[in-house]
Amino acid sequence: MAVFSSTEELQDVMSLLWHEIKESPDMANKLIQSKLIVQFRYREPEGLLTIDCSDAETMKIYTGPINIKPMIEMSMKADIAHEFWLGKVNVPMALMMGKIVSRGPTPKALALLPVIKPAYAIYPGVLEGKGKNAQMAG
Amino acid sequence: MTSFTQAFKFQNPTIINFGLDTASGIADLVAELGGSKALVVTDQGLVDHKIVNPAIQSLEESGCKPVVFSDVPPDSDLQCVERAIEYAKREGCDVVIAIGGGSVIDTAKAVNIGLCNEGDLRDFEGINCLTHRLKPMILVPTTAGTGSEVSAVAMIRDKENGKKLLYGSRFLFADIALLDPRLLVSLPPHLTAATGLDAVTHCLESFVSTTANAVSDSLALEAGILLFANLPRATSCGDDLEARSSTLLASCMAGLAFTNAGVGVVHALAHTIGGKYGTHHGLTNAVLLPFGLRLNMSTTEKLYARFWRHLAGSGVSRDMPYTSLVYDPSLNDEQAALALVVAVEELLKLCGLPRSLRELGIPELTDEVVMELAEVAMTDPAIMFNPGEVTVENLVDILREAF
Repeated sequence: MAVFSSTEELQDVMSLLWHEIKESPDMANKLIQSKLIVQFRYREPEGLLTIDCSDAETMKIYTGPINIKPMIEMSMKADIAHEFWLGKVNVPMALMMGKIVSRGPTPKALALLPVIKPAYAIYPGVLEGKGKNAQMAG
Repeated sequence: MTSFTQAFKFQNPTIINFGLDTASGIADLVAELGGSKALVVTDQGLVDHKIVNPAIQSLEESGCKPVVFSDVPPDSDLQCVERAIEYAKREGCDVVIAIGGGSVIDTAKAVNIGLCNEGDLRDFEGINCLTHRLKPMILVPTTAGTGSEVSAVAMIRDKENGKKLLYGSRFLFADIALLDPRLLVSLPPHLTAATGLDAVTHCLESFVSTTANAVSDSLALEAGILLFANLPRATSCGDDLEARSSTLLASCMAGLAFTNAGVGVVHALAHTIGGKYGTHHGLTNAVLLPFGLRLNMSTTEKLYARFWRHLAGSGVSRDMPYTSLVYDPSLNDEQAALALVVAVEELLKLCGLPRSLRELGIPELTDEVVMELAEVAMTDPAIMFNPGEVTVENLVDILREAF
């Protein structure tokens, strides 16, 4: 059974998580410095999340379709995204196994993985805030 | 090697066609793939030295008119790829053949992307984002090192934007890798050694990588034996077909290993240094490999020890003067792992390879440059497969010591 029951629930959780990341200077500053626009395209259920750091000043978080051309697109099942935020996904392995599709300069996105690692600890709290149990869901 | 309970996927859809003079039969392979007009991507040096002749002759005699594109530079770029695509489209090519080293092979893969997809090649940069099969592809390596003939990636320089484009997709696997050792006979000693050390690095880094698996391990171990036993001979006696065959096969096996398991810190640094100074990839790996092995020693001692026992146990020191590879069952893991590092250093010496970055032509490494290189290397994808955590400070130390 899929972790997220609807697009709305998925986008809600992911958006909340990214807003928490935005509030954490350690993570946010490094992401903003990257000047990247990264779009996450989820399936089962479908979902779209865009993180725009292109102005090097602030992190903008959008859910749903938006008229911004991303520099990097990462596509995956929503369940893979969930497992990723629980710290259970080896990203190079997931790329090798075709579980993640990355369009654009992938190395730039991979370089940010250590930066967002502290969010693994935040994610279960975000899920719980939305009435979901991280362990049950995972 | 990781636990047998860990999931993995080992991919190799490529037929490996190995043997002396197999290039002379390439037309049959083109026919098997249903091709009638082959684009042959190569470089001018290989044309001048008639390395491509057996394949071209085979194609001509079969009536499959080869369309030769020989304008590939050592570090291929998007403009070159675009010229080749235009040429192939104009000529109506339905098969892509590459005869050459890593740059030629990567060019051919990128050309194939462009032949089968409309639009700017930059739009297809990424991992797993190609959506359909490309034209049939035969890759014929003329060096023994990169393993590109069995890899699913291609890297092309985008000079306009000052960056390298990375393409990774299962559709970039060749249909056939044609390994003809005779094509390597005239490869000069320094290139034989340098490219060979790329393969050695593939063996050692893939064997300890975070995504290593039982299949990649077996290939890395066996390729390691072939390389330690034959690379010095292939370097000093280029026409030794036994040594050429062994190193070509080993390079392919190491290519399969790293394609499925990744590489590590040595490649991350070599990519970075090569990007800044244009140093030869194999040579840069050669210089850095002992340092990378030492860095990872604390996390991979058991694995290095296993590699050493496999190498030493194969009797490689009977034919080659490796003092560090005389099998001694009394060595503990720490001693065996250290013996492996010494064996690599002995191999470098036997092949007459440089031991410092300075010898590669890097004039100076200021503190500022060292820090810049270390920070860039930390963002190289190769480092994600490294078995132990690597810090900027670790890389700074390696760069200073290796200089």
